[in-house]
Amino acid sequence: MAPLQKRAIYGIIFGIAWIIATVAVFILKGGATAFDTDQTFRLIMDSIWIGGLIVYLVLFYPILRKPNLVDERDKLIYDRSPRIQWLAIIFTLVAWVIGLSEAFRGQGVPTVFLYVMFFTILCVSAIAQCIGILVGYWSMNRNG
Amino acid sequence: MGRIKNRIRRLRFDHDEMTQEELANRVGCTRQTIIALEQNKYVPSIELAFRVAKAFGVPLEEVFQYEDSQGG
Repeated sequence: MAPLQKRAIYGIIFGIAWIIATVAVFILKGGATAFDTDQTFRLIMDSIWIGGLIVYLVLFYPILRKPNLVDERDKLIYDRSPRIQWLAIIFTLVAWVIGLSEAFRGQGVPTVFLYVMFFTILCVSAIAQCIGILVGYWSMNRNG
Repeated sequence: MGRIKNRIRRLRFDHDEMTQEELANRVGCTRQTIIALEQNKYVPSIELAFRVAKAFGVPLEEVFQYEDSQGG
C-alpha cells in the first residue's frame, strides 16, 4: 500500500472520530440552546474543528513534499481527489439546507438564508473553478 | 485510441533480476508505481518514462511501445 493511501485510510478513521467527538460534545454540552449562551462550549467546538483541520494538514501536506514517499502517480491521484470531495460537499450542503429549512419553516426563522448560503457557495465554487483553470493556463505558460 | 505498453518486467529480469524496489529507487518513484506500470494500469509522464529507459540503459522505445487499437 502506498504511503499516501495509508494516510487516506487514517484520514477516514480520524474523520469518523472527529464527527463523533463533535456530535458528542454538542449533545453533552447542551445542544443548540446552550451554544448561544455558553462561551466555553463555543470555544470547545472551535478547538475541535480547528484541531481537526490541523490534523488533516499534518497528515497530508508534509508527505506531499517527500519525493521518496510520494511520486507523480500519487500526486495525480491526490489532485483528482477533490472531485469526490466536491460531490460530498454539495450533497452535505443540500441535505442541511433541505433538513433545516423543513425543520424551521413557519417558526419565525428566515430559512431563505440557508438557500442564499447554498446558492452563494455553488456560484462561488463554479467561478472559482473557472479561475483555477485560467490560473493553471497562466501558470503553465509562465513556468512551463 | 491507442495504448501504451511496456517491457519493464522483462527488462528487470534481463538486468540481473532487478527488484521493483531497486528500480523504483533508481528512477525516483514508489514501488507501487512500478507495479502499476508493469500491469499497464498507469501511463507515466515523459520524464519518468525517460528515467526508466535510462535506468535500463536502453532507448525509450525499447521500454515503451504505442499500440494503436485501430491498427495504424
